[in-house]
Amino acid sequence: MRHLLKLVIVVVLLAWVSSPAQTDPPAEVDSVEVAEVTPPGPVTSLSVTDKDNDHGHATVLSWEASVDDSTGLANVISYEIFRWVPFAMDHVDSLRGQLSGLRAEIAAAEDVTDEMETRLDLLEAAFDAAIDNLPQAHGQYPQNGEWRSVGVVASGVTAYGNTGTKEPTSADYIPDYADLYYRVDAVTADPVVRTASEVYGPVQCYGQWFNTDRSPVLVAVLAFGFFTLLFVTLAKKGTDLYVRPLAGIEAVDDAIGRATEMGRPILYVLGLGSAADVATIASFTILGRVAKRVAEYQTALIVPTYEPIVMTVAQEVVKSSYLDAGRPDDFKEDTVFFVTQSQFAYVAAVNGIMLRELPATCIYMGKFFAESLILAETGALAGSIQIAGTDEIAQIPFFIVACDYTLIGEELYAASAYLGREPILLGSLKAQDYAKALVVAFSVIGLIFANLEWTWFVDLFHVAN
Amino acid sequence: MSRTAVIVFAIVVVLFAVSWVAKAVVLSDTSDSGTLDAFLVTVAAFLTLAIYSFLYKDNPYYKFAEHLFVGVSAAFWMCQGFWTTIVGNLLPRLSEGMANWFMQPYQPGGYDLGFLNLSYTVLYWIPVILGLLLLMRLSPKGGWLSRWPLALIIGTTAGLNFVRYLRSDFIVQVSSTFVPLLGQEPHQWQGIGAFFSNFSLDASGQFVALLANWVIFIGVFCGLVYFFFSKEHTGLFGRASRVGIWVLMITFGASFGYTVMGRISLLVGRLTFLFEDWLGLIT
Amino acid sequence: MNNIGIIISLVLIFGGLLWLLIRSIGGHEVDRRVIFLFIFLSVAAPVIFRITFQEKATPVVEALFDRIENLPPGSNVLLSFDFDPAMAPEVQPMANAISRHCLNNGYNVVFMSLWATGQSLMTTTLSRVILPEFPELVDGVDYINIGYKAGNEGVLNVIVSDFRKMFPTDVNSVPLDSTEIFKDIKSCADLDLIIALGGGRPGPKEWVLFVGDPADVPVGVGVAAVVAPQLYPYYPQQIVGILGGVKGAAEYEQELTSHHERFADMDTPGIDMMGPQTLAHVVIMAFIVIGNIVYFRSRGKGGKS
Repeated sequence: MRHLLKLVIVVVLLAWVSSPAQTDPPAEVDSVEVAEVTPPGPVTSLSVTDKDNDHGHATVLSWEASVDDSTGLANVISYEIFRWVPFAMDHVDSLRGQLSGLRAEIAAAEDVTDEMETRLDLLEAAFDAAIDNLPQAHGQYPQNGEWRSVGVVASGVTAYGNTGTKEPTSADYIPDYADLYYRVDAVTADPVVRTASEVYGPVQCYGQWFNTDRSPVLVAVLAFGFFTLLFVTLAKKGTDLYVRPLAGIEAVDDAIGRATEMGRPILYVLGLGSAADVATIASFTILGRVAKRVAEYQTALIVPTYEPIVMTVAQEVVKSSYLDAGRPDDFKEDTVFFVTQSQFAYVAAVNGIMLRELPATCIYMGKFFAESLILAETGALAGSIQIAGTDEIAQIPFFIVACDYTLIGEELYAASAYLGREPILLGSLKAQDYAKALVVAFSVIGLIFANLEWTWFVDLFHVAN
Repeated sequence: MSRTAVIVFAIVVVLFAVSWVAKAVVLSDTSDSGTLDAFLVTVAAFLTLAIYSFLYKDNPYYKFAEHLFVGVSAAFWMCQGFWTTIVGNLLPRLSEGMANWFMQPYQPGGYDLGFLNLSYTVLYWIPVILGLLLLMRLSPKGGWLSRWPLALIIGTTAGLNFVRYLRSDFIVQVSSTFVPLLGQEPHQWQGIGAFFSNFSLDASGQFVALLANWVIFIGVFCGLVYFFFSKEHTGLFGRASRVGIWVLMITFGASFGYTVMGRISLLVGRLTFLFEDWLGLIT
Repeated sequence: MNNIGIIISLVLIFGGLLWLLIRSIGGHEVDRRVIFLFIFLSVAAPVIFRITFQEKATPVVEALFDRIENLPPGSNVLLSFDFDPAMAPEVQPMANAISRHCLNNGYNVVFMSLWATGQSLMTTTLSRVILPEFPELVDGVDYINIGYKAGNEGVLNVIVSDFRKMFPTDVNSVPLDSTEIFKDIKSCADLDLIIALGGGRPGPKEWVLFVGDPADVPVGVGVAAVVAPQLYPYYPQQIVGILGGVKGAAEYEQELTSHHERFADMDTPGIDMMGPQTLAHVVIMAFIVIGNIVYFRSRGKGGKS
């Protein structure tokens, strides 16, 4: 059975290899004389190039309009774009159809037989071979192929993008590194009356490693990277990098003292962010500081978390803080616990904790959403001192009105750097400060230039796709 | 349990039963599953009221609703995680047999590097292994292994976000502050005389358009000064930072107003449910 | 009957407020539960007696409406339902109105969700609005529901270059390749407009960052009021229009009903909600005034003593 199948496939392959020889090359459609309509002047200066800044499989055509496009005879109504396609492409199409049919058959089959798998393997091999053969088949121009229409544009238009896909499994596949030939027909109201341009080719399409249109992003990344590296290195060397003191942070120590005096716990909420959010990362540093103090004063700490990964990291942070404070034995695993990943269910649970445990201090640091006011209001109801910090702009107002101290936006990051004094955090904060200085400088310069209508500076900020 | 609590509980149970029966009678005319629908609507209404009872004071009904919510949502997200991430995203790429078993469309694919063909069936074992490593947290000895997948998660997300944010929130936003301060289409600057003779407070007028641009410029400038941490806020710098904090506070006020609207909408939504779906007061 | 109800409730509310004002001037504190009661009354009365107001579209809403209105027929529009039941009272009216608008104008509409909870709300819109009001439209040809996919921004990062890698089939397991609507859609770049409905994360901002900007596709947003102010910096360069909260929904509904005869009698939950909103806002403002009076009185007394 298998041998029979192989035989059939070999016969099919042979039939295809010999088939182009039997087919006559198609007649070129140049211009057909019809009495009523005079053929228009041809398109001139056709040029085809590879499309820049892409992953290949696309070309861009441009030309000069026919003399009879809106001038002269003014009888051009559209341009039709043709690409020379080798017959090998039909074979690819046919194999593609067979392959998807067979795949569908296998997917629908109750049990997949060896025979089906053999057929699939052979067909896949034949398909891959046919794809590999395409550049060579394109090289046979003008033998064994024909002109095929790839698109139509209205008169007046003098450019066209012939964009294919990179997947050979798609019917729009255009091979890279194959010689492509194009021509453009100027078409009149009678579609038979048309004039073809000179053939342009060969041209090859291929992908680029770097998209130059996105250079501004690279420059920004490099600038940020440079600032960060510079300041982190300086901080590591022990250079004194000044960060102005923040009221909210100085309040944290007082609040911990207060909790100790009152003998009530401290509630630390890390927010709803993931462990990758900068706000959550900053919050970990502050949690570390709070946990260390809590360990020293032997106050209770409650850290309900929203995300399993955040919980994991927070547990590590608190554990190492207890270790730093020299009290590793006082650390309890259930200080940091997971509640749920549903926003309001989480809030409901935290609210319940607040009203039952009546914490002396509630600290909210991290990413917060709609739950911010519910949390802060319940905390106020429980009579806690509240310190908040978030970079979620929409939530800052609630914290400002309901909490005693609020770290606004970036102050949260600054607080984390200020407390931690870790070279990496301090260095990045400094780098951000300089980036902000750059933004101010660019804004002012750009504003002046834009008002003077010097657009070159504004264009530097244009990121194309 | 105090006597009052028992009486309140009894009243709640009776009210629930009455509501269920009454609703079932109403719904039985239009629906085959009237009794079940009536039960669901009544449960939803009582849970809504239980949560709102917190506004009066903390009470066992609120706690019940809260715990129910926490429990149900934890289970919901766990099931969602399994069916959408593991069954929905992982298995259909990992193995055809597994995909068929869970009746998911098989999604073959991969990357051909020329010298090496990495198919999904091979590649997707990487997340499986990383996921298992993450679970090593539960092991007292192998806990440290979970740091590797964590590092990968944080690293990739940070990298991915860095480029996107830098482009959309930095480069494009900086260029958005290049606003014309004197005049723009359709309001070209034609001298101070023309400006005052055409003066109007209309939203589409020249004055309002220019004012908006000035507010953007000054707001961005002073706001950034406030968030500059490397310098003490004194002198001229301090004054700009004062303006910055004012701008921030005005923004927060606007934001607050928007949020009040959002919260009222939620209340309207719930009350509409209570009045329309439960009590049938409005149609 | 309605008018009498409206008058009685207004008298109750404003009479009560006046009484509170007098009491607070007299030095009495207002219990927070009294505030809750007033908010309840000010919301409940207009809900029961149906107080509504005429809306006028603001430029940000009009911009989105005009953008949708002026797309050529056959345009591909994607609606992403990235919200949950908690946001539904605000966002669902927008979702319904925009769906109606797009389908009425003959666009190909793709429905999807980045939130697990969004899928059921999407089904609500489809079964309560699309199917009864547009029986002539064919699933897979005029619109398609490709459902929810887990992966948040990861999903966006993939579909920006290839839909099929994330969504091989639609929600009914029909392969996308076999649907008419996805014949010309390979990636997000083939869309003419994206409408991101939501307010959390992932949500409108992620659509701008991960799809709108990189693929150069216009993004319009309909968001819960809480996050609307954060999206204004992206307008008009990166976001074509913003519907913020129920006010945005109401304005959009007004535009839709006045521009399209067909929708003159449609449900307008957004407009209906603006009655309670307005009254509640007035009550809140009154309480701010009362609160300030009490505050300044107590401060004044403190200063003297």
